[in-house]
Amino acid sequence: MHEKSPLLTAEKRERIGTRYAARDRKRGRLPAIVYGHGREPLPITLDAHAALGLITRGEKVFRLDFPGHKEADEMQMVLLKDVQFDYMGSRIVHCDFARVDLNERVRTRVHINLVGEARGLKVAGNLLMHPVTEIEIECRVMDIPDHIDVDISDLDEGHVITAGDVKLPQPDMKLVSDPHGVVAQIVQGVELKAAEATTVAAEGAASPEVITAKKEEAKPGAAPAAGAKGAAPAAGAKPGGDAKGAAPKK
Amino acid sequence: MALMPKRVKYRKEQRRVRARKATKGNYVAFGEYGLQSMEGAWVPGRTLEAGRVAAQHFLKREGKLFIRVFPDKPISKKPLETRMGTGKADVDYWAARVKPGTMLFEIAGVPEALAKKALVRVAMKMPVKCRFVGRRLSV
Repeated sequence: MHEKSPLLTAEKRERIGTRYAARDRKRGRLPAIVYGHGREPLPITLDAHAALGLITRGEKVFRLDFPGHKEADEMQMVLLKDVQFDYMGSRIVHCDFARVDLNERVRTRVHINLVGEARGLKVAGNLLMHPVTEIEIECRVMDIPDHIDVDISDLDEGHVITAGDVKLPQPDMKLVSDPHGVVAQIVQGVELKAAEATTVAAEGAASPEVITAKKEEAKPGAAPAAGAKGAAPAAGAKPGGDAKGAAPKK
Repeated sequence: MALMPKRVKYRKEQRRVRARKATKGNYVAFGEYGLQSMEGAWVPGRTLEAGRVAAQHFLKREGKLFIRVFPDKPISKKPLETRMGTGKADVDYWAARVKPGTMLFEIAGVPEALAKKALVRVAMKMPVKCRFVGRRLSV
């Protein structure tokens, strides 16, 4: 694993902050931070093209090289802990790395690959749902798998594969995620007519109920009869106005 | 109106600033593919309903559609040829606040090509520029 881990060349960031990070991105660098093992966090930049190519390929463990940097951090093994995206969610703008040893046990998220054609999908209208696409496991750094294959060929309608059912590749790996999380499930497709019926029902409701209007009615001493209908916001009706209008009648 | 809240605290609302980027609800969370807004707008409930109908009619009974935004903002409008003043007008429609990056619709359980065709039809109905996206990388 040590030899297999890709090498990234890092530069220490002298100035930190939004503006300097944006300038780094403009010149083709990717801002990142390295932390862990009880040492000071170290802000760095990486070659964006190389780093993003490896990260999008699914690499998690890297060797970081600091050329010309006289620190013990030279050739540090790091684990990708987090990535930050821009507001469109498509461009990685920052990465977090944690210092690790190869034999250290760490928690990491692993992607789940569904393998095979589910039996339940042969029935027309059935859907395969997999809300949980990755699970968190605890394992040694050198044993982190790229993905975990889950065979769904026996999955039938009404059956569920949960995170607890997923067979982990190594016996010493431990599942950290909720074991009840649904990894794969065959569900019946929703009838189009049923969905349209709910829409028609919703159209029947003219306007929403106003919570504050109701509270004013409940006040002791407030005009009872005039504002009683005021729950629905009828055109031009003011809850306060009703109360004022009713007062002189007394 | 197809979509609107059941209960609200106040009948009317101020306009508020809308020139902001989406910091939440900006990634595919429930389905496999999504329709992401590239612009900001108030999207009326009837427009969302039109999008839902367009997608579901195209998909027939295949797949599952998720609407990621809800029209909870009351938009008031004065009647035509009315003089200014005399208080805030009545609620005309309910709109969803959509920012650049907001995920509008998601689809699960269909192949990518079919999902794209369905969501392109939805995008035609939307008052904003949209793009088709998949699930993003997670670590």
